[in-house]
Amino acid sequence: MRASAIPAWAGATALEAAQASGALAMVLGRTILQLRSLDRRELVRGLVLFGYRSLPLSGVIATLIGATVVLQTSLYVQRFGARNYLGWAAGFSVVWEFGPLLLGLMMAARVGGRNAAELASLNVGGQLDGLRGISLDPFALLVAPRVVATSLSVAGLATVTFALAVLWEAAAAFFTLGLPVRVFFESFEQLLGFGDLAAGVIKSFCFGLTIALISTTAGLRAQGGARAVGHAAAAAVVWSSAAIFALDFILTPLLGALLT
Amino acid sequence: MSALAGIGAPWLLLARALRQSFRRGVSLREVLRQAYEMGNRSAWLVVSGLGFFGTVMVAIAHQQARRFTGNITVVGPAYFELLVREFGPLTVSLLAAARAAASSSAELASMTVNEQVEALEMSAGDPLADLVAPRVLASAVVVPALCVLGTVAATASAVATVSLAYGADGFSYMDGRFVDWGDVACGASKAVLCGLFIPAAASARGLSARGGAAAVGSAVTLGVVDAALGCLVIDFFIAVLFLLARA
Repeated sequence: MRASAIPAWAGATALEAAQASGALAMVLGRTILQLRSLDRRELVRGLVLFGYRSLPLSGVIATLIGATVVLQTSLYVQRFGARNYLGWAAGFSVVWEFGPLLLGLMMAARVGGRNAAELASLNVGGQLDGLRGISLDPFALLVAPRVVATSLSVAGLATVTFALAVLWEAAAAFFTLGLPVRVFFESFEQLLGFGDLAAGVIKSFCFGLTIALISTTAGLRAQGGARAVGHAAAAAVVWSSAAIFALDFILTPLLGALLT
Repeated sequence: MSALAGIGAPWLLLARALRQSFRRGVSLREVLRQAYEMGNRSAWLVVSGLGFFGTVMVAIAHQQARRFTGNITVVGPAYFELLVREFGPLTVSLLAAARAAASSSAELASMTVNEQVEALEMSAGDPLADLVAPRVLASAVVVPALCVLGTVAATASAVATVSLAYGADGFSYMDGRFVDWGDVACGASKAVLCGLFIPAAASARGLSARGGAAAVGSAVTLGVVDAALGCLVIDFFIAVLFLLARA
């Protein structure tokens, strides 16, 4: 890179960042304004498409998380002689970290990618302009219900994922360590509170909101042909994943201070 | 059924791409270009993602350790071993799946939809050897490299967090007491297998896209979901395999 190209690159990057964050703020602001008059049908469609249809995927994720957490910790449980605390340790790591994080990453791909692709192909095909032409607000009709549906879906899926993952953990602990299910759930029940569960659900809701905002913005900003649709979907997935890690970093200490 | 197809199709495509590339040869230039695309452009994502992850992991470890001993340095080495064996490879391959699978399935799907793949076949090219194989070979090298980079980033941020935020000796965290060759082999084999699987999953969805712009979008979504889910499954089975080998 030539020396003269560096200021140009920095300027272009800063401009792009400002535009993107402005677009995100616009989507968030207009969604909040639209909350009272959401299109019911579109909201239900979003909940079915993003939430209900993702149930099998979240079941698979829960199974893999639950089994893997116990497999990996079983070594230390034996080494430190902490069998009685396994229920708490395994439940804690699923609810606080691995449940929201892995669910968020998978939903970024599934829901975020699909949302961005749908909006981008409507945008590229001129259908959004068509809606404006017959004086319908594409935002109220297409965007706000999706943002609400995605956030609610991810939070709802999180509860299902937590429950399934903990059940699988109990099963895995029984089969690998011979730990009675009663002992597992005793420490789970005694040492984990409502605050821990709330933290996990709030974290997942925030991840869902981020995925929705980023993917919607990426879809609405797409310009061009088939390539632009692919690019919007890819950008939505990548930026949502990056944002999930950054948000995890901010939310974990914050929720930890607030709820425990 | 479609889930099984999502897991199986990439492996078939992988086998066919490798066979075709042996038969026809692979352009080294293209492999290097893909390695640059995937490696250099994903490096910032992996380093920042795992940097944040390292800090969060320590925060969780700290909360767990406070309950028993009040001292994070006791659980530090265990977490370091887990990072090498489990968290590092898994998180890095999920991030690589998001980044690499999204861009290559988008590229291949828009080529397929615009009939550029057929044009390539017409001019005696082979999509498997020319498009898929370079991505697979590049990714099999790049994902393990990213994995090393990510593990280093997570360790560095964990050390910084323990020293600065919790006022304990951060370097006790980098204690490799529990790490043996089995852990390294476990992490490395996960990274290599995920590296092979990610571009294969993306290409399988990209090359089978039919239709217009909407098909490109759904190819990207399905490609990333397949790749990420495949990484979770690979991670689980390798973990079971090494646990059985240890027992």
